[in-house]
Amino acid sequence: MGTAPAQLFPEFLVETFGLPGVLGEVVAALIAAAVVGNIVLAFTGVAGPWAKRKITAAFTDRIAVNRVGPFGLLIIPASAVQLLAKELIVPEGVDRPAWDIAPVILPASALLGFSVIPMGRLGPINFHLADPEVGFALVFAFASIASVSLVMAGYASNNKYSLLGGLRAVAQNLAYEIPLIVTAMSVVLFAGTLQMSGIVSAQTTTLVTIAGFDIPAWYAFVNPFAFVLFLTANMAEIGRNPFDIPEAPTEIVAGYQTEYSSAYFVLFYLGEFVHIFLGGAILAVTFLGGASGPGPESIGFIWFVVKIWGFFLFTQWARSALPRVRIDQLIEIGWKGMLVLSFANLVLTAVIVGVIA
Amino acid sequence: MSLERPDTTDDAAIERTPDELEALLGDLVVKRDDHLNAPGFVIRPDTVQETLSILKEQAGYDHLSVVSAQEYENRYESIYHLKKFDDPTQEVSVVVPADKDDPVSESAEPVFRTADWHEREAYDLIGVEYDDHPDLRRILLPETWQGHPLSMDYDKDRPQIATLPEHANPLQEHHKDDESDTMFLNIGPHHPATHGVLHLKTTLDGEQVVDVEPDIGYLHRSEEQMAQSGTYRHQIMPYPDRWDYISAGLLNEWAYARAAEDLADIEVPEYAQVIRTMGAEMCRIAAHMLALATFALDVNGDFTATFMYAINDRERVQDLLEDLTGQRLMFNYFRLGGVVWDLPEPREEFFSKTRDFLDQLPESVEEYHNLVTSNEIFQMRTIDTGILPPEVAKDYGATGPVARGSGVDYDLRRDDPYGYYDELDWDVVTEDGCDNFSRLLVRMREVEESAKIIEQCVDLLEDWPEEERNIQANVPRTLRPDDDAEIYRAVEGAKGELGIYIRSDGTDKPARFKIRSPCFSNLQTLPEMANGEYIPDVIAALGSLDIVLGEVDR
Amino acid sequence: MKSMATTMKHALDGSTFTVEYPEDAPEVSPRFRGVHKFSQERCIWCRQCENVCPNDTIQIVQDDQRNGEQYNLHIGQCIYCRLCEEVCPVDAILLTQNFEFTADTKDDFVFNKEQLKNVPWYKGIDPLESRNPDRGAWIGEGDGEVDYQ
Repeated sequence: MGTAPAQLFPEFLVETFGLPGVLGEVVAALIAAAVVGNIVLAFTGVAGPWAKRKITAAFTDRIAVNRVGPFGLLIIPASAVQLLAKELIVPEGVDRPAWDIAPVILPASALLGFSVIPMGRLGPINFHLADPEVGFALVFAFASIASVSLVMAGYASNNKYSLLGGLRAVAQNLAYEIPLIVTAMSVVLFAGTLQMSGIVSAQTTTLVTIAGFDIPAWYAFVNPFAFVLFLTANMAEIGRNPFDIPEAPTEIVAGYQTEYSSAYFVLFYLGEFVHIFLGGAILAVTFLGGASGPGPESIGFIWFVVKIWGFFLFTQWARSALPRVRIDQLIEIGWKGMLVLSFANLVLTAVIVGVIA
Repeated sequence: MSLERPDTTDDAAIERTPDELEALLGDLVVKRDDHLNAPGFVIRPDTVQETLSILKEQAGYDHLSVVSAQEYENRYESIYHLKKFDDPTQEVSVVVPADKDDPVSESAEPVFRTADWHEREAYDLIGVEYDDHPDLRRILLPETWQGHPLSMDYDKDRPQIATLPEHANPLQEHHKDDESDTMFLNIGPHHPATHGVLHLKTTLDGEQVVDVEPDIGYLHRSEEQMAQSGTYRHQIMPYPDRWDYISAGLLNEWAYARAAEDLADIEVPEYAQVIRTMGAEMCRIAAHMLALATFALDVNGDFTATFMYAINDRERVQDLLEDLTGQRLMFNYFRLGGVVWDLPEPREEFFSKTRDFLDQLPESVEEYHNLVTSNEIFQMRTIDTGILPPEVAKDYGATGPVARGSGVDYDLRRDDPYGYYDELDWDVVTEDGCDNFSRLLVRMREVEESAKIIEQCVDLLEDWPEEERNIQANVPRTLRPDDDAEIYRAVEGAKGELGIYIRSDGTDKPARFKIRSPCFSNLQTLPEMANGEYIPDVIAALGSLDIVLGEVDR
Repeated sequence: MKSMATTMKHALDGSTFTVEYPEDAPEVSPRFRGVHKFSQERCIWCRQCENVCPNDTIQIVQDDQRNGEQYNLHIGQCIYCRLCEEVCPVDAILLTQNFEFTADTKDDFVFNKEQLKNVPWYKGIDPLESRNPDRGAWIGEGDGEVDYQ
């Protein structure tokens, strides 16, 4: 199933600017990657210092940033300067270079994940860097590198709170990665491919038509149960409430981040937000039809952005409303609940797909 | 330690006259030294445990409120103020003199667990040594402190110089043991969830807590000594606001007012009592709102909406209190013999503002139940965690919502009536869950009870005839209570039994001013609740105790 | 999971509880106790305020004829209990509702009698009227900005 793969972003650059040979392809790939990376980082820049404050304020009846610039938007450069201008404090006894590498790995791994995400079209450009046949597996692999960074940071910080945070991060990732991927596999069974573009295009057909509205065959509508499972596991994977226990500021004082300041702290925060957006992107691609939406295909990118920001909003909403679960409860939910449910879902899907096919 | 409970036979519940008690104690009593609130029995310093266990097991005095120690010209003295949880109006004081040169007295810790910290404090500040005490160390002051600040020969001008190596390194000993599987973790004194400057020395086995030891005293401001250098009439009253500074000011002021008024025999006009009752309950709502807010913070995380919503409601009460008293936290509104001001003019505006607040309160409380108590994850986190069985709670002298959350039906507003409470229609809230959830629920339901009380007070005040609005009794400008009169009086503060012990020496300043802080006793139960639980449960248990370090450390 | 609905309701109704201070200056109750104002004209130098002050915030210096020379008050150390106003027989010291004060160092908070005189009323309200209606209020002595000297 699926249509012929659309032209990728680097290919588009090669064609438009007539870049010759292998060198041209490399240059085009680098440029494309830089553009996509900057778009994602720009989202993060807006989300971290501004959108997050505004959203949290709305939930808690406050006003939040409104003094610096229109709607307080200039808080974004102001925060950037403020954070970067701080002194980088290197605590005694930290395990370098692990301590220095950890804050780089987190945003890097999350950004890498975007390399295979089909972000849809904006005009002639298709924001999709690469479309390997195992793209779907690759994105989960990239996303889970993050936990390496957390353990590294937790261990290298020479701080007991950080150590606890790092250990919690591993336990949590182990418990939730498996249900996450098993649930994702049920989607692969439907789509019959691991290629990202294939999964997206499998969702473009119409599921049912109700009162003149075409409900697309997004897997969230086809299999809502799997969607909820995936959403929950995804929240745990990116470590947001109610599963933010690797940080848990009121218990273990921000966990693995405790000892980081200045630029390293920014990198961690950046990484976390990119990770949220990556989580949103995976969710959008897997269950919400990727870049599809009403209107022409050429504005697909806008729909995609709306979807990942919607997911970001959801994480902030959950954060203002939901209590944090305890580590043992989290593990229990992961291994005893989610794992079983996700396998049940997989078997069920396999049977249904088998019967239909 | 002994945690066995005596059988509560009918024998224990009956009220005994002082003479019957003296007969019960027999030879143990050296002489009588009655206090204004209770009969006092002087005993020998080596018979403390014997005397207290007779009183506890045979006469039913199961609540050791406080141990107040002091130094006289010729002796040291520790006083054990005993009560009954079933009827706190039945009181008895056990006075234990100790030798001036060698102040050693037997510890009461094997009989009452709560004596542990109280005796450590007495040792720390006064210098009485307790024989048989399991762990007699300083508690409020640093371990390197020289001298005992409330003793008579203490030189307060002497600099306290301690070289760095003299300070114990909290990490050191725990590093050495290679065989051990446990990890030592300092929670606090600067930790987001310790609600101030509390230091928990925690030993962890993985994520589980093996042992937790609260280390207090970081906020010790010598409040007792400050009260001892202030005059009864004016200078002490501003300070109770600063013990439990979480807007429970009027409740604290009442503790001092009650003790001092009984000591100096001052009658408070009825009208003032109604105003006091109303103001105190407003404070209770404000304090419980903050308890709810911070508990949500501890369990939900930093960005919880519950915190802001509860703070909003607290702001509304504070606005009312500001109109009434002129300040939002440090009220200084009570005076001996009444209150400083009548209700603000125009009275109707104040009443309607108060009624508006009371009208929207049920809606807010409903919202909190939606946000917090009915949330499945929240229930998962708090139900059956931080268990405090009622016997343990009593043994540690826990009071207030902490005790009532363990099903101990003890509320001084009802059991030892003061103010206007016994004329009003309200209920004491108890829950039997003994866990973090119950303690929170007790506070939330007490807010509703307080609202009921305020409403009745407003009704009363509205109809109060204008010519009978007497807000202050006639109190002489300088108060000099009788020489050597002693009194212990307690009120139901926001956190529990807040008591004051005063000994007068014929001057216009108290000779000894001892504060029985409910948080101090409540915090002592933390290891009982936390050991064996996970770190998040320790944080939740600490939050559910609702301690204010200003009151713990004084 | 009602908590999700409750928070969303709050987010959508758009009302905020916080205000934009200082543009939106708070309503301060007439009884509110802020920085002191002192009138040397009224003061009879009886030193009762100095005596009653619980933490020795007020310091009065007199010459040998017991005429007042200095009246110093540390507004950073003061606990705002209002006992000085309460004992003052002539209302020479009273607490305005002014809660806004800043200084570079703690020592700048030691106000002498001139500085205390110049403390502004908050929103032009003399709080004495609402606290003790039977005592004469200061406002109205002189016109507009009160002149004490």
